[in-house]
Amino acid sequence: MKRGLIAWDRKELPPEAFESRLAGVRKSLAERDLPALVIYTDVWRSNQGRHFSNFMPYWNRALIVLPRDGAPVLLCALSPRVYAWIRSVTILDEIRPSGNLTQKLLEMCTEKQWKQLGILDLSRLSEDLFLPIQAAEIEALDMPSSTVWPSTDDWELEMHRRAAKLARSVLTEEFPEAAGCTDHEFAGRLERRFRRAGAEDLVLLFTDGETVPHSAHGAKITESSSVSVALEYRGHWIKLSRPHPCSGVAAPLENLFRASVKTLGADLNTPVYVETLSGPYPYESCERSAIEPGALFALQIASRSGQHRWFYGDTGWRAPGGAELL
Amino acid sequence: MLNQSRLQSLTNLMTEQGWDLLLLYGHCWRKDFFRYLVNANFSGAHAAAALSRSGDVRIALMDPWDYEIVSAALKGGVCLARDFAKALGELAALSKDGGVAIGGMELMEARFVDTVRQSANRPPVSASPAVEELRRVKTPDEIERIQKAADLADRGYLHFAETVEAGMSEYELVAETEAFLKENGAEDNFMLIASGGVEVVGMTPPKDRRFEPGDHIITELTPQVDGYYAQICRTLVLGEPSAKQRESFAIFAEARQAAEDILRPGVNIADVAKAQNDVFRKYGYGEYTGPKYTRVRGHNLGLHPDESPYVLEDVNYTVKENMVIIAHPNTYLPLAGYMVFGDTLLVTSDGCTSFNKAERKLFKR
Repeated sequence: MKRGLIAWDRKELPPEAFESRLAGVRKSLAERDLPALVIYTDVWRSNQGRHFSNFMPYWNRALIVLPRDGAPVLLCALSPRVYAWIRSVTILDEIRPSGNLTQKLLEMCTEKQWKQLGILDLSRLSEDLFLPIQAAEIEALDMPSSTVWPSTDDWELEMHRRAAKLARSVLTEEFPEAAGCTDHEFAGRLERRFRRAGAEDLVLLFTDGETVPHSAHGAKITESSSVSVALEYRGHWIKLSRPHPCSGVAAPLENLFRASVKTLGADLNTPVYVETLSGPYPYESCERSAIEPGALFALQIASRSGQHRWFYGDTGWRAPGGAELL
Repeated sequence: MLNQSRLQSLTNLMTEQGWDLLLLYGHCWRKDFFRYLVNANFSGAHAAAALSRSGDVRIALMDPWDYEIVSAALKGGVCLARDFAKALGELAALSKDGGVAIGGMELMEARFVDTVRQSANRPPVSASPAVEELRRVKTPDEIERIQKAADLADRGYLHFAETVEAGMSEYELVAETEAFLKENGAEDNFMLIASGGVEVVGMTPPKDRRFEPGDHIITELTPQVDGYYAQICRTLVLGEPSAKQRESFAIFAEARQAAEDILRPGVNIADVAKAQNDVFRKYGYGEYTGPKYTRVRGHNLGLHPDESPYVLEDVNYTVKENMVIIAHPNTYLPLAGYMVFGDTLLVTSDGCTSFNKAERKLFKR
């Protein structure tokens, strides 16, 4: 759940970033002769809405309408009482109260005399929104995300790098001190450090070396432990994992990992876990082949020694010269 | 990990409804339908459990780490579904003439529902309302878990109240609260906050606003323990409360009490809302009970922190014993701004009882 600081620092992520992204959308709409693009967003599936507007429906869901001619419009069930806050952290100005999202969307189409509409990744809309749109007179056309968001841009890369730097530095400081405490206690320490540093959301998984990482359940952190951190910093997710620094495997595992990034672990004999961070979800398990040029990925590897397994991983992107870490 | 009593309830429901196969779907925001049968806090994008009328369970998980944990616990019937649509299709193909029902169908990506439709040779039906109705009446085991979550909510709020100080920002206070809850076993937490004076009209995620003497600070804390959420809503004043803050809070306290006085099996949930709103009307603040100033006067709680039925005057639902509901008269009043106050309540045979033990007062620090 979102409970960290949701903010927009215009020096960190300038309005030009959004202007550039919206210009790309308008160009795609013009090429298809469509009047607007609709983007679905919710509390977890927020990558796309955030990319184009910086909006995050912190406990709910919403539709963001990007007209070819005109400013973006937000349709959301959140109360008008929080619109001032929404305007302060997004590029959005026009917000329409929408208890029924599709009804408001269709009303907007009537008002604007739109006969067609582009929907970002149409078949991935949730069923309760998809059905009424399909049943309406408006012609809803699929616009794959690759057509409007073909590659990670420099602003995004910089934000993801900040997120990765934050995660790495806090883990480096906190993990050595964690031996002997429970995974719950360690989770608490990490929550405090990360959220005080501005993390918006956090998913922490732990293992005592006998399983893959999973939710904290009261186990002791030992030298056999590994931790996985998925962190969202101002709408930009990263994911990494580390073995305990006193495990004796940390350095060789890191070396093995770094040597395998270029091939996304294809040359390794150890288990490799690949996730895309360029889809609608914060991270989503996928085949290696799904990481296309320009895409962000999380790569985790496992190493076994006797009865124990350790995990190391980090976030990277498929740069023009090949996959590299952020 | 697999709840046998719910499995029985669900298969009974399937027989009653004539469904061959029940899919319980979850994604990372809404795991509740899946977790009703399979108590696994998955971290991957999608998960589904398929239940046959004979009680056979098969599970598809998209994330390999989730897969390893769940398959080790269940010893069979679990598949790693990198192509989740394909896996759903394979599960749906197990259905016969009765077809497929889906709990959480509304939340599913349309392409997933389409795969089920094609694979089962007929459109699936939504099982969400029927499964939600099953979920509303809690078992002793569920009540025990909600009690643990409420105990943690109480302790978390006391930590919140003891930690807050002038100069601290909202997000720093939330970081401290979150740390406390996680240290003490919370899986997750839903939390909103606001601070200031009469200008406070609602709650949001934490901002970088720093607390000032005289502020009132409102929060709803909703920790999740072993799948189940419990909520507490309290208002705190930084310093000595003003006469207006006291006057305002007294109305909230009376409204909360009015809800608890009426909440019992057989009552219409609309009347629980009306009881709260009537208190505001009595003091001339009836206009502040509508959607312009507030959202709901409470809601159901369980595997999701904001379940239906909502406590609203236009929602008709007959309350049942062992439902778990928070009644909170949270709204804006021009006296002192938005305030919150409410406990997680268990509907008993002849009334209700609070899970929360935190003092029922206007806190001050």
